[in-house]
Amino acid sequence: MELAHLWGILFISLHAMVPITLAAIGESIEESAGLFNIGLEGILLLSALTGALGAQASGSAVMGLVTGMATGAIVGLLFGFISTTLRGSQLISGVGINLFALGFVALMLTVMGAPGFHSVAREVQVALIPLGVGNLSPLVLVTVVLAIVAWWLLRRTQLGIWIRAVGENPAAADVAGIRVNAIRLGAAIAAGVFAGLAGAYLSIDWFGAVTKEITAGRGFIALAIVVFSGLNPLLALLGGFIFGFFDGLATWVATYPGIKEIIPWQFVAMAPYVVTLAVVAGAIGRVRFPSALGVPYVRE
Amino acid sequence: MKAGIIRIASLVVALFVLAGGPFVSSASAAGKVALVLDVGGRGDLSFNDMGFKGSDEAQAKLGVEVVEIQSNSAADYLPNMQNAARSGQFDLIVAVGFLLADAMAEVADQFPDQKFAIIDVTWLGKPNLMEIGYEENKGSAIVGALSSMVAAHYGYDKIGVVLGIEIPVLYKFEAGYRYGMHWGNAKYAEKTGKKSNVGLLWTYTGTFSDIAKGKAATEAMLAQGAGIIYNVAGPLGIGDLEAITEHLEAKNKSAGPPFMIGVDANQDYLGDGHRVLASMMKRVDFGVYSAIESVVNGTFKGGVQILGPHNGGIAMSGKQDLADFIQFGVSGGAISASDSGQITSNWDAMRKDIPQWIWDAVAELQSEISSGAADVPCGWCPDTIGDIRAKYPD
Amino acid sequence: MFASKSLKKQIEPIVESLLAGLVGLVIGALIMLAFGHNPLAAYRSLLLGSVGSVYSLAESLAVATPLILTALTFAVAMRGGLFNIGAEGQVYMGSLAAVSVGLLHLPAPFNLIVALLAAMIAGIVWSLPVALLKLGRGVHEVISTIMFNWIAHFFAFYLIANVLTDPKRGDRTISIIESARLTRILPTATLNTGLFISLLTVAIILFLLWRTSTGFEIRAAGYNPHASHHAGINIRKQVLRVFLIGGAVAGLAGAIQVMGRPPYYAVMSGMPQLVNLGFDGIGVAMIGRNHPIGIVFAALFFGGLMVGGRIMQFDPGVPFELVRVIEGVIILALAVPELRRQFSRLKGRWGRKE
Repeated sequence: MELAHLWGILFISLHAMVPITLAAIGESIEESAGLFNIGLEGILLLSALTGALGAQASGSAVMGLVTGMATGAIVGLLFGFISTTLRGSQLISGVGINLFALGFVALMLTVMGAPGFHSVAREVQVALIPLGVGNLSPLVLVTVVLAIVAWWLLRRTQLGIWIRAVGENPAAADVAGIRVNAIRLGAAIAAGVFAGLAGAYLSIDWFGAVTKEITAGRGFIALAIVVFSGLNPLLALLGGFIFGFFDGLATWVATYPGIKEIIPWQFVAMAPYVVTLAVVAGAIGRVRFPSALGVPYVRE
Repeated sequence: MKAGIIRIASLVVALFVLAGGPFVSSASAAGKVALVLDVGGRGDLSFNDMGFKGSDEAQAKLGVEVVEIQSNSAADYLPNMQNAARSGQFDLIVAVGFLLADAMAEVADQFPDQKFAIIDVTWLGKPNLMEIGYEENKGSAIVGALSSMVAAHYGYDKIGVVLGIEIPVLYKFEAGYRYGMHWGNAKYAEKTGKKSNVGLLWTYTGTFSDIAKGKAATEAMLAQGAGIIYNVAGPLGIGDLEAITEHLEAKNKSAGPPFMIGVDANQDYLGDGHRVLASMMKRVDFGVYSAIESVVNGTFKGGVQILGPHNGGIAMSGKQDLADFIQFGVSGGAISASDSGQITSNWDAMRKDIPQWIWDAVAELQSEISSGAADVPCGWCPDTIGDIRAKYPD
Repeated sequence: MFASKSLKKQIEPIVESLLAGLVGLVIGALIMLAFGHNPLAAYRSLLLGSVGSVYSLAESLAVATPLILTALTFAVAMRGGLFNIGAEGQVYMGSLAAVSVGLLHLPAPFNLIVALLAAMIAGIVWSLPVALLKLGRGVHEVISTIMFNWIAHFFAFYLIANVLTDPKRGDRTISIIESARLTRILPTATLNTGLFISLLTVAIILFLLWRTSTGFEIRAAGYNPHASHHAGINIRKQVLRVFLIGGAVAGLAGAIQVMGRPPYYAVMSGMPQLVNLGFDGIGVAMIGRNHPIGIVFAALFFGGLMVGGRIMQFDPGVPFELVRVIEGVIILALAVPELRRQFSRLKGRWGRKE
């Protein structure tokens, strides 16, 4: 195997890492505050579509990313509102978001005349950084920076302490004067923004098109990575990279003559899920979830 | 509260009944045709869009009304066709694609008075069914020869083919391409005196809709040294082209090589006119149009029609189709009208850069195929594809 | 208004589901208007297309048949206090097990039963590890079921493309052997005797949950694990039971889907007829309030939406995907607890008279 091939796999891994890590970072913040959003997949899908449309309407890739983030913020707000003020079921609303997104994106694609997909003009895609050995998306760097910032926020700031307090023991936090529902709502919006960025990245950066299946379960993988990383954004980077690596490797194995007859690509594709299961099963004893995760806070 | 709900409910029901209108609409002047699609759908810029091109032309020139019926999943194929047949509104129901074969077999029997047509299927044999098949293997052989010669000329030692779902129709493309590649290698050696061992990279992505897989497969093939990528997976060509474009951008280039070979429609206008070298055109539009025309003229007959190089059903893209398909691309939203001049001149430059002897060799193969001197494998080969792969190895 | 409080409690969830359904249909209508379609014509088409003829009713029932089962998988788990979203993967495994029975060359009369049993066992094989991981390592079932769904997805792809492949067609498995195919009830619809299997399962689950001590223990553990534990109920056993039942039922759904759906009777590459059965089942269970009877109606509703949606597509031309949008909105509406009370609060605020 030549060096060019290794660089190729590395780049595919980094690019695949971006969406799942971004979504995982946001969800880490959200779960630290006690909310469990299974609707990440839906947010990814919706913002992939709106991000593409935003980029095309404004002629700018950055505006596309902003549109995606705004979409994520709105859905995150809806989810947070249902979960805090209305005290609704987080799991049910998450499922509802996913179903709605599936239908809505497919509907929009059909209405726009191309039921399968919608291409994004090259000019409005995010410009890649040519590095000789390959092109790197600037969002890879953005993801790394955001992971560090999120970790620092959760572990080293007052806000982080409040967020974790709200997730751990909301009653005590309330008594101490922390506004529980406000923090939770904020965390939900933040998670939405991260997932929105991830979704927009899929359409205007990585694939250059919107399809019904563009998310391919990445929202759910992000949830797994949150567990895998113990709600630690820095470890989410690692988890995301591992997934991206096997994802890219699977395609390689499927096309590389000589190897593809020996190793079925499906088993390579399975690897990250098996690895996650192993890690989660092995590490779970050491992972502490916030005690109030998934439970709506009701002031007595 | 309850009284209120009942009041609202009755109002709604009344509006319903009044505003609904007739359930079965009346047919238009020349007739009404249903086009049933597989899960691919409109916007693939290849197979399905060619089907629409044919039906759009039929609407314009023959005055028929065409209704599209999308299939959300394979479970819809049979019910969609049954619904269409049962409604009795359609003079002709056209199924676009091989995946609809099993459903068509049943429906054609269930509704013997309904006229049907199907593309890419040739073995059902029903009196009310017109079956239209294509000689994709011959077309693929022609572009295969072009590919291996061009790749060798530019110094690449591999060409690639990205396929969709592994169905026997696609075996025709694969087998023809292999044959062409070997023919091209031999011809290159003959003409230049240098040995040419261009090899094949190939994969069935298993999808006609997940563009990401096309891009990923192409990236892998480009990294392994492929100079030409043949798209045999409909819309995945968009992903293939993305990969090629990015690959070139990293080297600060815009024109290939590496090149893509388009499929079904003339896709040469994509990639700014100089990244898609040629396209293996499969004139699904002719097939659909002629089926509709036969119903309008009253000449419809059940049976099999084969469209191939001999009757213009299969052809490699050339200058004369480019303008036509640029229009196609503009209406599909893939390019804007103002670019057409640039695209055409880029295309001319791309083709001129390739030595004339290669184009002459391609023409030679075309005539060998027409005369029968070249025996391109796989008119239909689900049982023998393994042997063909052994005879024309990677 | 109501004589006894318990009757009111029973009606409450039904009213909530109906209200949520209404919200979904209203929002769907708004979206249709936004795109220039006539919602009333569309809904008329939807209604007539789903139950307006014997044929369409049969088709709606056919779509509902596997959904009833995957919904039961989720519902039984919810009753036990667990979130089992693994039906998706269990369905794939069940269908492939049913297909493989054809390789055994058993005497004809046995094939049907063996296929169904094999599918149930395959479903259990896929759900049992989830239960064990939860009990042994504390792994939350949401994560493990998602992982198992994806592992099943790729494993199924592998089996379809390499092990169970139809030698003439690289894009699907061998067909279900003829003697194992479920008979059609109507010649021109895809409804088959699988419906009876589904309904029988509903009856069994109903009986199990509300008339046996096993069912009581499951429900008690779901309602209040601490109190049940103190009352002597073995919580661990309930987890196992719930996943066992869920896996078997989901596997059965996969088997029925492939044994009863012409014209293929095989699993196609990409599993188009199996994909989303698990997830749609979750929606059906939620709308059916996790009760077997409610699930039957909810499944019929979903089936009607799907089938009517196909007609709505070409007359009057409203895209099929709208159906999913409506489903999503309904579920979101269901997420809000005591929806009716929220409605009343809204009404009160706006001063409408009753």
